[in-house]
Amino acid sequence: MNDPFIKIEDLNFSYTDEEGNEARVLHGFNLEIERGSLVAVLGHNGSGKSTLAKLLNMILMPQSGRIVVDGLDITSPDLTEDQLFENRRNVGMVFQNPDNQLVATIVEEDIAFGPENLGIEPKEIRRRVNDALAAVGMTEFARHSPHQLSGGQKQRIAIAGIIAMLPKCIIFDESTAMLDPRGRAEVMQTILRLNREMGITVLHITHFMNEAAMCDRVVVINDGEIALDGRPQEVFCHVAELQEIGLDVPQTAELMYELNLSGVRDGEGRELPLSCLTVDECADELCRLIDSL
Amino acid sequence: MTEIELKNVSYIYSPDTPFRKVALDNVSLNIHGGVITGLMGHTGSGKSTLVSLLNGLNRPTSGQVLVGGEDVWADPKQVHRFAFKVGLVFQYPEYQLFEETVRRDISFGPRNMGLDEAEIARRVDEAASFCGLSPELLDKSPFDLSGGQKRRAAIAGVMAMEPEVLVLDEPAAGLDPRGREEILGGIRSYQRMRGSSVVIVSHSMEDMARYSDEIIVMDHAKVKMQGTTAEIFARADELKSVGLSVPQITELMNRIRERGIPVRGGIYTVEDARDELLRLISERRGRR
Repeated sequence: MNDPFIKIEDLNFSYTDEEGNEARVLHGFNLEIERGSLVAVLGHNGSGKSTLAKLLNMILMPQSGRIVVDGLDITSPDLTEDQLFENRRNVGMVFQNPDNQLVATIVEEDIAFGPENLGIEPKEIRRRVNDALAAVGMTEFARHSPHQLSGGQKQRIAIAGIIAMLPKCIIFDESTAMLDPRGRAEVMQTILRLNREMGITVLHITHFMNEAAMCDRVVVINDGEIALDGRPQEVFCHVAELQEIGLDVPQTAELMYELNLSGVRDGEGRELPLSCLTVDECADELCRLIDSL
Repeated sequence: MTEIELKNVSYIYSPDTPFRKVALDNVSLNIHGGVITGLMGHTGSGKSTLVSLLNGLNRPTSGQVLVGGEDVWADPKQVHRFAFKVGLVFQYPEYQLFEETVRRDISFGPRNMGLDEAEIARRVDEAASFCGLSPELLDKSPFDLSGGQKRRAAIAGVMAMEPEVLVLDEPAAGLDPRGREEILGGIRSYQRMRGSSVVIVSHSMEDMARYSDEIIVMDHAKVKMQGTTAEIFARADELKSVGLSVPQITELMNRIRERGIPVRGGIYTVEDARDELLRLISERRGRR
């Protein structure tokens, strides 16, 4: 990898309950995330996805192993408090429930909350709030009250609050899970724009396979280990494996897989490609097949 | 097979204040008995308000709610009877677990109904089995269960009251694909075995396509569409105009048809799409 923004080496993490029972979540875990990439993280509930997110942001500390974020070893015993805060600012997080993330009664004040706490001067805060609102397409709502907004709009305000701290990376921890279809599409478009236009490195934890299909890379975590890792077209070819660990594939890939199982072959006797992740690609492939008959 | 009927129902939050909000605007509809009805609509369209009127939790500002032909508010002193007839499962019900064991938590509702111990035990076992909770889990603390198991325990608690109508608000939100399947599959087998009426509120077009028999679509405090699942998903453009969508598979089949290949409409599951394509392929091969 040319320029890893995140480098995780031999990471071990376990939770311990009151009775001293240890539950291992991540063991010997290795992962690199390229600077400026958009990476989907998939895994069933309890697979270790959210734990990983919290480790990157130092909400949790590992028992052993190394995490380097933007060149800074955040697991080093010599890490200073300033460095810790720098990492928290560098790596922003957006959670599942928008209602738990908004603190102010006016949208623009909510977005200003982060930079205010960083001690940024008022003029600069004003500029950052305006930029952040524009980045999520919510400028016209600057003076609204958050509770009057839809779920997708609230979630975009939560994202703007993170952007105003000028992070280099944002981790979305199932940030689309509670939204209706339009809200989900709005947030996904925002995520794509932050990555493509502002160069922000994005980790998108999700249970929606169609969202993962829009990312550059898909990492599948199962029982604290990486089960699959690659471009969406590669990962979603592993239909049976994904179903085995309780996940899914986009419906287009599932259809192609089912047709293959039923013995359908193309003109040259080959199986249909499972790498069709969009409606258009899949329609092209099926129309070609049917027209050739 | 209990039907629910709404007649000219309006519900207004904070009337006579500057925050007045019309959540339901003169809604009339029938929720049919003995089927699973999916209730869809964008955030703030009035779904959850509608649900809160079905068992007398909230009283309509105007209009009537009839459960099995009986007006819920005919005698306000008797309104609690409808809490047993219509069981409500709220969003994220796992936060409402409170007992020392799963069994005691599921028994809470039936016990409040004044049933005898043998009947309570029967209902708890049956509800737990519908929800895929194995007997050894029943003696654990609810707090030792996984997220998906907690959710199922909370749903079992309402099922054990054996309501005539079971209403669930986003029962699968935030779960992984297998967790969704376990919950929705359990609800369906409960509905098919008991023949009762079930209403599921959901934002997942794919889940509704798979599990609901009929669908009601809300938009801005009104009922926008109502019909069978096939009828509703055949109206893709209208669904998009109210902030919803159709399953990816439906969009794919529509695209193929637009390109002149004669696949039938109203396909909204992968299985149906596969069967339709196989039919078409073998028809063409046969002709050759």
